[in-house]
Amino acid sequence: MKRILVHLLLAAVLLPLAARAADPAFNGRWRLDVARSTALDGWSTLDLVISVDGPKVTLHHELTWHSTQVTATNVVDTAQPAVLVNFFRLDQRHMAVYARPKEAATVQAAWLDASRTLRVEALVPLETSQGNTTMRLYDEYRLGEGGTELVLIELHNTRDRALVYHFTKVPEEAAKK
Amino acid sequence: MKRILLSLLLTCSLAPVLRAAAAPATPAREAYVMHFNSDWKIASGLPEKVLLIGLQGLANRTEPRLYIVHAADFPWEITGPLKDFYERKHGVHFTELTTAEEALAHLAQYAKGYVVWDPAVMPTMNVAYTIAGLEDALVVTPALIPLAEKHGLKLIDDLRGRYTGRTDAQIFADAKQRYWARCSHDQLLLDGGQRGDIRIPAIADWGVRQKMFFHELSANPIHAEELALEKQFFSELNPGGTIFGWHVYGKDTEEQHTTLISTYGLKMEGLQSLPNLSFNCQFTFTPGFKFTNHHHVARDAKLAAQDKVYISFVQSDGIGIGVWTKPGRGRMPLAWGAIMGWVKFSPAALEYFHESATPADYFIGGLSGPSYMYPNHIPANRFGLLMKEASDLMAVLDERIFEIMDNSAADGNLGNADLTKETVDRYYANFPDVTGFINGYGPARTRDLRDSRPLISYDYYIDPRRPREEVQADMNELIALNPKRPYFLLVHVRESNDVNSLVGVIKQLNGPVEVVPLDLFMKYAADKKTYTTRYQLPEDPKHFKGY
Repeated sequence: MKRILVHLLLAAVLLPLAARAADPAFNGRWRLDVARSTALDGWSTLDLVISVDGPKVTLHHELTWHSTQVTATNVVDTAQPAVLVNFFRLDQRHMAVYARPKEAATVQAAWLDASRTLRVEALVPLETSQGNTTMRLYDEYRLGEGGTELVLIELHNTRDRALVYHFTKVPEEAAKK
Repeated sequence: MKRILLSLLLTCSLAPVLRAAAAPATPAREAYVMHFNSDWKIASGLPEKVLLIGLQGLANRTEPRLYIVHAADFPWEITGPLKDFYERKHGVHFTELTTAEEALAHLAQYAKGYVVWDPAVMPTMNVAYTIAGLEDALVVTPALIPLAEKHGLKLIDDLRGRYTGRTDAQIFADAKQRYWARCSHDQLLLDGGQRGDIRIPAIADWGVRQKMFFHELSANPIHAEELALEKQFFSELNPGGTIFGWHVYGKDTEEQHTTLISTYGLKMEGLQSLPNLSFNCQFTFTPGFKFTNHHHVARDAKLAAQDKVYISFVQSDGIGIGVWTKPGRGRMPLAWGAIMGWVKFSPAALEYFHESATPADYFIGGLSGPSYMYPNHIPANRFGLLMKEASDLMAVLDERIFEIMDNSAADGNLGNADLTKETVDRYYANFPDVTGFINGYGPARTRDLRDSRPLISYDYYIDPRRPREEVQADMNELIALNPKRPYFLLVHVRESNDVNSLVGVIKQLNGPVEVVPLDLFMKYAADKKTYTTRYQLPEDPKHFKGY
């Protein structure tokens, strides 16, 4: 009983803090600027739809390649680590590195830089030609001045070179179409 | 480095031999040559080219009389070098024809009349080509009728108005009723490729010469009538028949069409732009010529793999489309997927490739069968016969490694390119003499090792547009993600990649890395199996589920 009370108290204190931490400009539809971004083989277009709800941040991906259309959603929690099944990783699909279906990634998220940066760290289960392995992935979603541009910087523990993806905010009316 | 020096020495020491061999081995013969420009637009350059390609098929019925050299930006880059080869090795003396007028002045005698097609109803071009093969007709648009008549040709048929307002399915169903019974039932011509304002039917000479039925039907299930009609054709072709040409861009996909063709146990030979087959098919290998591949290891040798990363590069796309004549070839080991079917209908082209191969070039068999097929869909009762044909062709070409590709469940060069266990079992049973198999186009994850014969899939596909610094980072990441040594990194080099840039990438890779020819790669992969055994699983995602 005491433990429940402590949790409720913590939640009462932390949730409003987390909610305050979110910059509302993150919310909305962001479209990948292919020309300014690291070459992303295997995907022609990418829309990232972000919605912040208290400590939870939903990162919804809409991708196309030829006639392939894929949607994938990660809901990260800025208040506590989460275990996400089928965590979606923006992959370079010409590499034989595959997600392991139904397996879980450990994911941590936090707001940084006066709430203008969302940091997501994940240990992602993968399959390669030598068997199962794990990639440590570090993402920063940085909101640009004016709230119309977003930069995703991604690091892998297995890659020396950062992946940098530039997004532009899709106006609300256009996003509805 | 030693290997590179050795290669250079070999190249230098072989040069006098090649010069000595330059004298024609067969008696001199006369032929005509035309040079085509790049204008394939329906509204401008296409009608005359359609006429000339059809004329080529008629003129080349009994002898190789007309050869076409295409522009530098044409998909098949070898038409110029191959003309030189015919001059040098077969003693062909070419006389240049510069206009359609000139061509008809010399070659109209091989036509008995003309058939008119309507550029406003594009499928009539293919119906006209079918008629051309059957009736020895020149294929003309209304604007070219005076030219045909000037050379004494009379009207055989006029398609204007016959098919106006009718669907492709209706047009080719009607043409089937009229002409199919008299056409070849061993071969069919799928004259697809580009849509919109251009067409490149450079293979039409072959279809006319062989009296094939031309069509442009879709294998896309959303075009139910066209699909049903195409299935009728396939079911009426003789067993082991071949579909020449290529699917129609925008109507269906390469994956759909190749899946459908494979389902009937038929063979696919691309592309619709492949030129000069009516000429090429009439030359055999030069006397005394024998294919000698640049093997680097004896067939039964066993090699000990070291704790390092072994990388091998493969260029599997149509060899004549690729980087063969571009600078850089020979600077690093590269395996080439030669088109085995050319033994039968374009032997000089294969001889040209072998003659000009450097010690770094290594030929492999494929693709999936005696021509392009998707093996997961080949009927069990056709598999053995087809693979016997492939195996025999490999023996002629002195090839020991076989390449497999099944993109039936993929989307372009991505997605599921894996083989079922049943398919893998069949390959091991039907190719007892190969050193090993490779699989995929984009990356794939079918892997096996049986009787010291590995089956390895591509771990990486290099898009020619991908920045080289990202290619380097990708390959280093694969090396990091596969930490056991040896690691076997098989790389597919897409058709137009620049070899020189790849040499630069290799220099920047991490760790003990060795780039080896594919036959050595397979031998090392047979020694230490650090890769998993895997086949296509029922739960793996499939973009197209088949018919």
